[in-house]
Amino acid sequence: MGTRERERECRLCAVTFFAKLHPGDVCGSNGLPLTPNSIAILGRAQKLKELQDEHLCQYLDVIRGKHERTIVVSEYLGLSLEDYAMRHPPLAIAQILRIFYQVACGINVLSRHHLVAHNVEPKHILLSSDGQRVKLFNYGLHHMTKGGAYVPFPIGNIRYMAPERLLGLNGNVKSDVWSLALVMVELILQIELWPKLKLSNVVRKILAFGKSNGALEKIAREHQCHERYVQMDQRLRQLLESCLSVLPKRRPLPGELLEHPIFEEVLLDLKKQKMQPLSPETEHLPLLLRCPLSQIYHLWQLAGGDVQAELKKEGLIRSEAPILGLPQIVRLSGASVCPGRSQAQLMDDRVVPLRLKALLQRLSGLPAAVYFPLLHSPRFPAHFARELQELPLVIREKDIEYQFQRVRLFARLLQGYPHTAEQLQREAAVDVPPLLRGPIWAALLEVVPNGSYAKIDKFTSTSTDRQIEVDIPRCHQYDELLSSPDGHRKLRRLLKAWVTAHPQYVYWQGLDSLTAPFLYLNFNNEELAFLSLFKFIPKYLQWFFLKDNSAVIKEYLSKFSQLTAFHEPLLAQHLASISFIPELFAIPWFLTMFSHVFPLHKILHLWDKLMLGDSSYPLFIGIAILRQLRSTLLTSGFNECILLFSDLPDIVMDGCVLESQKMYEATPKSITHRQHALRLQPPQALDIGVADVELKHLQQEQCPRISAKDVQFLLDNSPAELALIDLRSVVEFGRVHVPHSINIPFATVQLGEQRLEALQVPQLEAQLRGKIVVCVSNIHQHSVEFSHFLVACGVQRTCILHKGFNVLHSIEPNILISN
Amino acid sequence: MDSTATRTLPFVYKYKNHKGQDCESRLDITFPFDQENLEECITQLMAPNQMDPMMRYLDENIKLERELQKFVDTEQQNFLDDQAEKLLKQAANEEMDIEAIVRDTERLYKEELLQFADRVGPSDADIFAQSFHRLVHSSSLEDILKRERAYAKVVSDMTDLMDSEVETLNNSQQQEMDSQINQLDITTTSEDINNLLAQQYTTQNYVRKRYESELEAMMGHQKNEYRNWITSQVSQMFQVSPVATPLGNRSSMFVSQQPSMEESFTIHLGSQLKHMHNIRILSANVTELCSPLHAEESLNGLNMALGLYSSSLCGVVVLTPSIQAQANKNIIKNANKSTEFHFEQIDVQMEKIEKQIKNLTTEDSSGSSTSNSSAEGSGTPSPTKKSVPRLKTGDFFITKHSNLSQTHVIFHLISDEPINSPSEINSRHPVILGLRNILKTASRHDITTLTIPALLRHEMSEDMTVQWCIRRAELVFKCAKGFMIESASWGGAELSTLQLLLPDDISESLFTTLAGMVPSVFHVANPKILVDTSK
Repeated sequence: MGTRERERECRLCAVTFFAKLHPGDVCGSNGLPLTPNSIAILGRAQKLKELQDEHLCQYLDVIRGKHERTIVVSEYLGLSLEDYAMRHPPLAIAQILRIFYQVACGINVLSRHHLVAHNVEPKHILLSSDGQRVKLFNYGLHHMTKGGAYVPFPIGNIRYMAPERLLGLNGNVKSDVWSLALVMVELILQIELWPKLKLSNVVRKILAFGKSNGALEKIAREHQCHERYVQMDQRLRQLLESCLSVLPKRRPLPGELLEHPIFEEVLLDLKKQKMQPLSPETEHLPLLLRCPLSQIYHLWQLAGGDVQAELKKEGLIRSEAPILGLPQIVRLSGASVCPGRSQAQLMDDRVVPLRLKALLQRLSGLPAAVYFPLLHSPRFPAHFARELQELPLVIREKDIEYQFQRVRLFARLLQGYPHTAEQLQREAAVDVPPLLRGPIWAALLEVVPNGSYAKIDKFTSTSTDRQIEVDIPRCHQYDELLSSPDGHRKLRRLLKAWVTAHPQYVYWQGLDSLTAPFLYLNFNNEELAFLSLFKFIPKYLQWFFLKDNSAVIKEYLSKFSQLTAFHEPLLAQHLASISFIPELFAIPWFLTMFSHVFPLHKILHLWDKLMLGDSSYPLFIGIAILRQLRSTLLTSGFNECILLFSDLPDIVMDGCVLESQKMYEATPKSITHRQHALRLQPPQALDIGVADVELKHLQQEQCPRISAKDVQFLLDNSPAELALIDLRSVVEFGRVHVPHSINIPFATVQLGEQRLEALQVPQLEAQLRGKIVVCVSNIHQHSVEFSHFLVACGVQRTCILHKGFNVLHSIEPNILISN
Repeated sequence: MDSTATRTLPFVYKYKNHKGQDCESRLDITFPFDQENLEECITQLMAPNQMDPMMRYLDENIKLERELQKFVDTEQQNFLDDQAEKLLKQAANEEMDIEAIVRDTERLYKEELLQFADRVGPSDADIFAQSFHRLVHSSSLEDILKRERAYAKVVSDMTDLMDSEVETLNNSQQQEMDSQINQLDITTTSEDINNLLAQQYTTQNYVRKRYESELEAMMGHQKNEYRNWITSQVSQMFQVSPVATPLGNRSSMFVSQQPSMEESFTIHLGSQLKHMHNIRILSANVTELCSPLHAEESLNGLNMALGLYSSSLCGVVVLTPSIQAQANKNIIKNANKSTEFHFEQIDVQMEKIEKQIKNLTTEDSSGSSTSNSSAEGSGTPSPTKKSVPRLKTGDFFITKHSNLSQTHVIFHLISDEPINSPSEINSRHPVILGLRNILKTASRHDITTLTIPALLRHEMSEDMTVQWCIRRAELVFKCAKGFMIESASWGGAELSTLQLLLPDDISESLFTTLAGMVPSVFHVANPKILVDTSK
C-alpha cells in the first residue's frame, strides 16, 4: 500500500484525556451540584467544530466516556513534522520556510477567532506526505479546557514553551509565536533542543533567557552549531530573533509575521500551486473524500465506527479492574484515602487514527449521481434506494447507504434554499437525516437568516430574568450540550432575545423546553435557533404566550376534547364521565409542543412530522398518546389517571407519529377550526367564519363542526367516506336532500337508550363504520343532541354540519336532489 | 504570582446620529477581556441612555462592533504584553522564587503526563487481576472453582476442628472449675480458684494461638500456591486458543440464596429521559449476604469469580458503631472461613484501615489537610478532638472480598444510633449523607449492585413501632431515589440493582407494608404492551 493510499484512509483521528474531578462534594453558587468538567469541555469544544481553514485540522466531535474521560475526534493529515523531519533530513531551507509560513497562517486564523493554541510543537504540525500542505493539529485543547482549568495536566510541550507561560501567563498569542520560532530553529540548525536535559533544567534554561539577550545565539552556542547561526540568512535570523524576544511586546503578531519579506517566495509558490489544474492525483481521489469531513465522520460512525473501541485497541483506554482502585476510607466531607493513582489515568498524548478503508469500500459502488445529486434534471431522478423508504425510521436512520444518499441530497437542497423550498418540503415528508436536521427544520419553517438576531438586546435585565435563571438548570439537563455552561449561556440569550423581540408576549414556563430542541440542533448557530423558534411559535402556538392566555388555551383544549370524541368516542366518553378534563394534564403538552414531557431524541422524531403539518397537528399527537394508553385509561379512575399522567410513561414514539399522521390526514380541515389559530388566508363563504364558533359552543358541543365546503369536497371526491345523517322530517327529506344520505327524523327517535339498534334503522352500524358521520338538521340543537347520542354509542368521526341543512342550498353547482 | 491583575480602560465611540449630529457613547472596559462579553458591551454602548434606539435599526451596531473589536484586540494584546513584561522583569530581578516555579512545573509534568512520569509497570495486583479475569472467562473456570472449594474445605475443616477443640477444652475446664467452686472454703481458697482461672486461660489461649498460627501459615501457603497456579494457567492459555466462557459475567444473574421474603420491581427514574433500574426489597440477615462463599454447593462461587475484576461489582452497606472502627464480628468470621486469594485477609485489611484512621486523625489535629498526596479530595476534614482516633457518623471504610457469597465490597458505614431507642432523622443526617457518598463511590468504581439497610438498622427491636419503621423506610427510599436520579449526572457506572435490606426478624405484615411503599415512592415502570397497529 502506497503512502498516498494510507494517507487517504487516515483522514480522521482521536485523542483522549481525563477531565479534572471536582474535589469532594461542592455545590455551585446556585445551590445545584457542579457540572462535571467533561461536560463543560464538551460545551466549549462545540465552537471549535466551526473552524474551517486549510491550515487547521478540523474538529469533528467530542465524546464523553465513563468516569470523566473525554475523547476528541478531529481531522488528520499525513504525518507529523516530527516524523517527517526524521524521514527527510535535513530539510531544505525553502521547505522550512513553507512550513513556517503555513503554520503561522494557522496561528493567525486562530488569533482572529480569539483563540490561542499554546501547544505548538512538531507533533502537532502535520504535513501531507509530499510535504506541500501543512496543518496545525490539536490546537483547541487550550480553549476547550478553559486554559487548562478543566484538566489536571499542563498544556504544551515544555521545551517550546515561552518564558511568560512558565510564569503562569496564558492567552497571549505571542507565546505561540515563540513556540513556532523554536520549532523552526530546531529544523534550521538541525538540532534537537536540550535532548538530554532533565525537565527541571529545561525550565531553568527557558527562564534564564530572561536575563540574557539573544536567545537564538545562546541556543546555537549551547548546541555547538554557532557556525550555522552565523551563516544563516540575515533576514531569517532577524525574524527568528524577534520571534524569540523574551519580552512579548517585541515579538511580532502572527499577522505581522506573515507580512515579512522572507515569505515572498513561499507566497508566490503557494499561489502558483493553487493556479495549477487538478493534478491526476486529486482527480483519482475517491468521490467520498471530496465530501465534507463532518459527513464522512457521520458515515464512519454509521458504518460501525466506534471511537472508544479504536482507542481500546491501541491501549489508550486501559481498563483496570475497578475493585483495585477503591478508596479505603471516605469521610463525610468527601475526603478519602485512596490507593495511589494508576498510570492509566495520566495524560497520554498518543494519536489514534480512525481508518476509513471499510467505509470507502462500502460506498465505492455507489454511482456518482448519489454523491452529487442533480436536482433540476428530470432525466436523472434521485430515485436511489426508494425501496428503503418502506422500512421503519429507526432502520433507515442506521442504514449507511440510505443516510449517505439523504445527506447528500439534503445538503444540495439546502445549498439551493430558498429556491428549493418546495422540493425540500417534499423530501422532508419522507424523513429527515439526523445530521442536517437543524438547517432542514429552519428551512421548513421558512427561516431566512438576516442578521436580525444580532440587533436584539439579550443582556439588559428584565423582570423575567429570575424565572429564566431558575428554569435553565432544569431544562433537559440529561443532555450533555444543554447542561454545559455554554449551553446554559446560549439558552439564556435565546430566551431573553425572544422575550425582548415580543413585547406583546410574556415568558411562560415551558418556553425553555420549547427552545431546547432548536438550541440542541443549532448549537453553533444561535441565530438559526432563534429564528426557528421565532417562526415556530406563531405557527403552532399563536397567542399562547399572551399574559392572559386563558381564552386561547381553553379554546385549544375544548377542541382537543372534541377531536378526542371524533377519533376515540369511547375514551372521550370515559374521561368525561370521570371528569378527567384536558386542563388537568394537557396544558404542558401543548404549551411546550410535548418538549417538556419527552426526552430530546423522541421530540426530534415527533417534530420532524410536526414541522410538515399545520397548527392542528399537535392535537392529533395528543390523541395518539391517549390512544396508546387507551386500555389503561379505560380501566382507570380519576386518581389513577392523575398519577399516570403526573409522570408520563414511556410512549412508543414511532407508533405515536404514525397514528397522529393518519388521523391528521383523515380529518377534514374545518373540523380543527379554531378562532385563535394562525390563518394564512381569509375564510371563504362556505368555510367556518373566524368568529362563528365561540368558546361556549365548543364547550357545549361534544362533536366538532364541519364546514359545507368540506362536505362538498367529500361528496365530490370520496363519497364513500361520507355518511350524512339527515335529521329533518320525512316530508322535508322527500322535498330535497343530499343523495345517499340517511334520513333519521329527529322527532321520531328515542335517545334514552344508548344503542344504535334503538334507532331501528337497518344496518346503520355498517353504514357508519369507517366514515365521517355528518349530522345535518335545520335545528342546530337537534344535531348536537343526536351527535352526543352517536358518541355515546361509540360511533367514530361524528361531526355536525356548521349552519345546518340550509347552507347546502347555497352550494353551486347544486348537489341536492328531490324524490 | 500576580496573574489576577486587571486594567480598566474607557472606550469612546463617536458616531453621527440619524439627524447627522456628532454623538458619542462610552463604556469602561476591563482587561483581560473575555470575547464572550463583546455583545454585552455593545448592548451597553447602545443602551437607551447612551444612544437613540433608532440607531439599532440603522445598523449602527455593525460599525460599533467593528470598532469595539479593534479596540479590544489592541488593548488586550497590550495588556497581556505588559503583564508578561512585568512578571518577566520580576523574574529576571529574582523578585520571585524561581526554584519554586521550577519545582512546581516539574512536579506537574511528572505527575500528570505519561510522557514524563517515572514509568512503573502495572502492579502485581493489576497483572494478577488481568490474568484471573481472563482465566475465569475461559474453560478453566471450573478448575478454578474446584480448587478454591478444595482449599476452602481444608481451612473450614481446620476452623471447625479448632472450634470443637476449644469447646471440649471449655467444657472440661468448666467442670473442673465447677468442682473447685463447690469445694470453695472447704478444700480450696479463692486464691486457688484465681490460679486455676489464670491457668485455664493460658491453656485456652495457647490452643487458640496454636491453631491461629497454623491457619495463618496454611492460608499463606494456599494463597501462594493458588496465585502461582493461576499465573501458570494463564501462560498455558496463551499457547492454546482461548475458548469463550460458557456464561456471561453479569454477576447478578443468579442469586441462588433464598432470603425469607423478597419482592422485585423495575423502575424508571428521570423526568424526561428515563433510566431503568431494578429494586429488590428483601428481609435477610446481613451476615447471610456475606456468608462464606464455598460453604455450600452453589452457583455463587461462579458469579462472584466472574464479577470480581469486571465492571459490575456487588456491594453491601453494613452499619457499624463508631466506638471502634470494627467490622461486624460475624462477617469477619465468615471471611476467615477460607483463604482470601485476591486481597489481604480481612484482619490485615482492618489493621491497615485502623492505621489510616490514626493518620487521618493526627492530620486533622495538626490542621493540614493537603499533606496526604494520595487523598482524592482536598475538602478540609473537620477537626476532631485530639487523641480520639476514630471515624464519625457518616464516614465509612471499605473492605474487599473474594470469598463471600454475595458481595465483593463491603461499605462499613459508621452509625451510632443506640440499639434500643429509635430516633428520628431527616434527610440531612450524616448517615444519609454517608449513604450518598457510598452511592457516589459505587458509581465511580463500577459497583452496579448495591444493598443498603432500608431501616438503617440490622435488627428489629421492641421500640421500633410500625409507624417508626414506615417513616424511616420512606426517608431512606426517598433519599435513595434522589441520589439515584442525581447519579445520572455523575458520569460513572449506573446502578443497575438497588437492594433494600430489611432485618430478618421483621414481621411478615410489616414487610408487606414496606414493600408496598416501593412502587409509590419509586415510579414503577408500566408494562409496555405491544399492539398491532396495522389493523
